[in-house]
Amino acid sequence: MSSSVALGFELDDVVEAWAALRSVMIRHRPAAFERDEWAYLISFLEAERLRAPFRETFGAHEAGTGHAGRVARPRGLIAVWLPNNVSLLGPLILVLLSLTGNPLRLKAGSAAKDLAGELLRFALEHLPKGPLRDHLEAKVRVEVFEHEDARHREMAATARVRIVFGTDETARAIASIGATSGRQFSFVDRQSEAWVQAASASEEVLDSLAKVCAIYGQAGCTSPRRVLAIDGTADDARSLRDRLLERWPHVFPGPPAPHVASAGILARQWASALGWDARATLHHHAVLSVGDYSLEHVPGEHVLSFSAVPLERALAGLPPNIQTVGHAASGAVLQEWARQLADTRALRVVPIGEMHHFSHVWDGQQYWRGCFDEESGPT
Amino acid sequence: MSTLLGKPPYGERDDEAFLAAMVEVTRHHLRGCAFYERIWGAKGTGGPSGGWRFATRAEDLPFLHVGLFKRLSLKTDAPGLEHGRTLESSSTTGRSSQVLLDAQSSAWQAESTRAIFGDAFGVSPASPAGPLLVIDDPRALRRRGVTARAAAALSLGPLATDLFFVGDETGSRVVWSKVDEALAVPHSEVVVYAPTWALWTAWATAEIAPTTRALLAGRRVRFVHSGGWKKLEAVGVARVRLDAALLGTAGPGSCVVDFYGLVEHVGVVYPLCAEGYRHVPVWADVLVRDPLTLGSLATEPGMLELMHPFALGAPYHAVLTEDMGRLVPGPCRCGRRGKRFELLGRMARAELRGCANV
Repeated sequence: MSSSVALGFELDDVVEAWAALRSVMIRHRPAAFERDEWAYLISFLEAERLRAPFRETFGAHEAGTGHAGRVARPRGLIAVWLPNNVSLLGPLILVLLSLTGNPLRLKAGSAAKDLAGELLRFALEHLPKGPLRDHLEAKVRVEVFEHEDARHREMAATARVRIVFGTDETARAIASIGATSGRQFSFVDRQSEAWVQAASASEEVLDSLAKVCAIYGQAGCTSPRRVLAIDGTADDARSLRDRLLERWPHVFPGPPAPHVASAGILARQWASALGWDARATLHHHAVLSVGDYSLEHVPGEHVLSFSAVPLERALAGLPPNIQTVGHAASGAVLQEWARQLADTRALRVVPIGEMHHFSHVWDGQQYWRGCFDEESGPT
Repeated sequence: MSTLLGKPPYGERDDEAFLAAMVEVTRHHLRGCAFYERIWGAKGTGGPSGGWRFATRAEDLPFLHVGLFKRLSLKTDAPGLEHGRTLESSSTTGRSSQVLLDAQSSAWQAESTRAIFGDAFGVSPASPAGPLLVIDDPRALRRRGVTARAAAALSLGPLATDLFFVGDETGSRVVWSKVDEALAVPHSEVVVYAPTWALWTAWATAEIAPTTRALLAGRRVRFVHSGGWKKLEAVGVARVRLDAALLGTAGPGSCVVDFYGLVEHVGVVYPLCAEGYRHVPVWADVLVRDPLTLGSLATEPGMLELMHPFALGAPYHAVLTEDMGRLVPGPCRCGRRGKRFELLGRMARAELRGCANV
């Protein structure tokens, strides 16, 4: 059964306005955004991609027609607590939630770049007058404040929907001060990994691996902490590492920022000390290590470790908070992995290139749909 | 190594002797520290090349990134080497750096620091600078790990007649009755040490009783501080204002000495000279490396690498910092000879570090 969605604006106008903003974005990049972050955001604003939440949630778009079996209405103020570690999440969720027609208050991480605020400023500066601009101007606020600030309580108490990215503790704390009539969606600490069938490791796969590694470092819950050559040999793992070392400067030809290079120097030494065979890409942009599956993990920005491991051991070794398994495999091998992963806690099994694709359903939670009240409509 | 220490800190350099001492201490750590060996040994993959064994210049020698001291418990074992307490940085990120001390290195480091501060103050153990007042909780000395603040204070100890911890239990406020007690020591001079921020909040802007003020006005006070300026800059306090506020509480001939030093490279400190530079003693070296290529830079800004050979208990003899600086050519008008550098602050967006550091 399809639903009618009672937005305060024409959805097509808003989607098209976001999509049209891309032509300005291609020419101007605010300094706060890295080149990769900006490119990802531009691709995210593609019109069909923005329509997907509606299509997949409510069926074909019938905003305001009144002929559907159910009616969905914006629920009211949405409050979002963004994480410190994945700065791009702010702009992405701002865009997705702007499509719900709800007023929106985002609290950006106090120790992170406020990219949601940057995007909001950029959009208000460059959008022509129209429904999207009006909505952003009147109903969307991005704020940065500290842990002790009274605005946490105010946000939690007044929001009809609370969306929390952070630790278990943060989610519990916000739930405890939130209005009982409000819904809460909590996205807490999770980990991801990439599984590769050596024969499927094309150049395209390696380039995707480089991109998903580079965009959030290991900070994102969808960032692969390690690359596993499933049922492969140590030589397979080493070959993957060496090939990615070679590809990296082609994918990222520019020099890294000095702090990224410094983090790379540190990660290389740390990984070596723990027994990994660690190599750095040009200018220490990334550190790629190969070694035994049992070696201690080295966290860090742009750090990837490669190990060979049998499928059974990889399944047994999945972290308890596994979120995404990115794959590069085909045919019967992929089918077997999918079948086996279905019995684990993994929430997503997607091609490596799609590991970071943030969408209207996250960690298995329909948070975007939760921003609407739904009821039976006129028949 | 002790021969390096026997010289005046800013006299004639013997680069060959320094390099030999650094190679010797590097070999010592390769033999005794498994982590270090995995990074820089024959099969090590932690550095750009294994060519350091044929090093003819300090810049060819291995180094460790400063962040490693937060991640690993680095320890070097050797026959006869006695490890002591652990020196700990303050922590703004929940993880502090740890440096394992040993008796021999501590003795060398004390000698090094004494000589450097002695030069900066114009004093020596034979003619000390009066009582030393440390704005910290006295319990800092009884903890198992030594805090950076306590270590910095203790390094000044040999140049003072007495040691007084004048902080409250938080270490961030002055207990003025303790100051009065210290000023009762009959001496015309006094040294006050605290981290930069604490010296501003706990002393420069504090309400001081008229009786204490009168006692201080009759003393030549040497204020010594180290640590970051970020908090002070955030409240609009520049060096000139801090110095003026401090000197306003003290008698004629008083001075303020700001020094740069790292927990992760304890043993050599870099006081700011009257001309605004930091001078490298003959038993140490400072390099500036390009963050991208790691090449050594002659005068351009880059990452500071600090070196000295007085580190046996753990491999902190050559540390690549995330502090930016640049070497300054030519002689300094302050009269000190040898290498000098300008400290430019923390690398943008580098990992946050404790306030005991720059």
